[in-house]
Amino acid sequence: MSGAGPPVWAEWLLERLLPARDRETVGGDLREEYEEFVAPHLGRLRANVWYLRQMISFARRCMQEGGTMTKLLAVSSVITLLCGCWLALMECLLRHPGFEARAAVALLVAAAGVATLLVRFLHAGVRRERWLWTVAVALMGLGVFSFARNARAAHFEGFVFIISIVLVVQGLLMLTTLGRHSGPGRIVARA
Amino acid sequence: MPLGIFQLTRTQIYVYIVGMADLMGTFELSVLLAILRLGDRAYGRAVLHQVQESLGRSVAAGAVYTTLDRLEQRGLVHSKLAAGTAIRGGRARRYYAATAHGSRALTEAKETLTKMWQGVKLPVAVKP
Repeated sequence: MSGAGPPVWAEWLLERLLPARDRETVGGDLREEYEEFVAPHLGRLRANVWYLRQMISFARRCMQEGGTMTKLLAVSSVITLLCGCWLALMECLLRHPGFEARAAVALLVAAAGVATLLVRFLHAGVRRERWLWTVAVALMGLGVFSFARNARAAHFEGFVFIISIVLVVQGLLMLTTLGRHSGPGRIVARA
Repeated sequence: MPLGIFQLTRTQIYVYIVGMADLMGTFELSVLLAILRLGDRAYGRAVLHQVQESLGRSVAAGAVYTTLDRLEQRGLVHSKLAAGTAIRGGRARRYYAATAHGSRALTEAKETLTKMWQGVKLPVAVKP
């Protein structure tokens, strides 16, 4: 079978999930399997699902390759993402005065979680960005601010306490795991 | 009467500990056997097909490539790149072959399994 191969975005994503050594060979093997065997037998839609399943199996492999800190970072990123989404949803539902700004901040927190996960898995070319450090410091600042404000508030709210701790942990893990500055505008990746 | 570990010599203890740790799992064994069966046609996709056929179930590509990497790191297989075909978009193929150490490990694994199964009749009877 010739013509359309796997989805272009999926191939692009897979190539960035894989270490440089396997990028060409594994991508080629999966494309060959997709075109010669899977798509003719299963049809295009189910073949695309098959391709996604293979991608996930490599994501798990990437996850297993990192150290404990990197795994912790992936877990904390998911928690940060969920916290951000939940906070934004609650702000939109309750609609207290000034909820728009707080919902926007909550969505930014969720975006930071997504961005960290992407950096963790798509390790090509993004480690050199300074914005990682900025995001990490911003998350920690937001966490400390929320913690202090909650501590001074008349009603101590447990979920705000938990989320503020999550943000500080996320920021610390980002600073220690994703990379370190070795000069102006350059970050060296850590194993 | 079975020997306790404290009754073994230092060499025997070494063989006991290292030998058992070096034993390959079923999946590693099936990947290495697939490479042997395929001979000079053993590249990633062919190994994946062969493993699926021998295990009789669908296997994720990630699991096979992870195992191939591990086997290569342990010196049981080696690999070399070859030119790709048009259907692969010109991407190279990585061909795998068992090393002498790999062949020896397979032989040892087979002997160990044979010894382990000695005296056990199939199908294994379970007493209620």
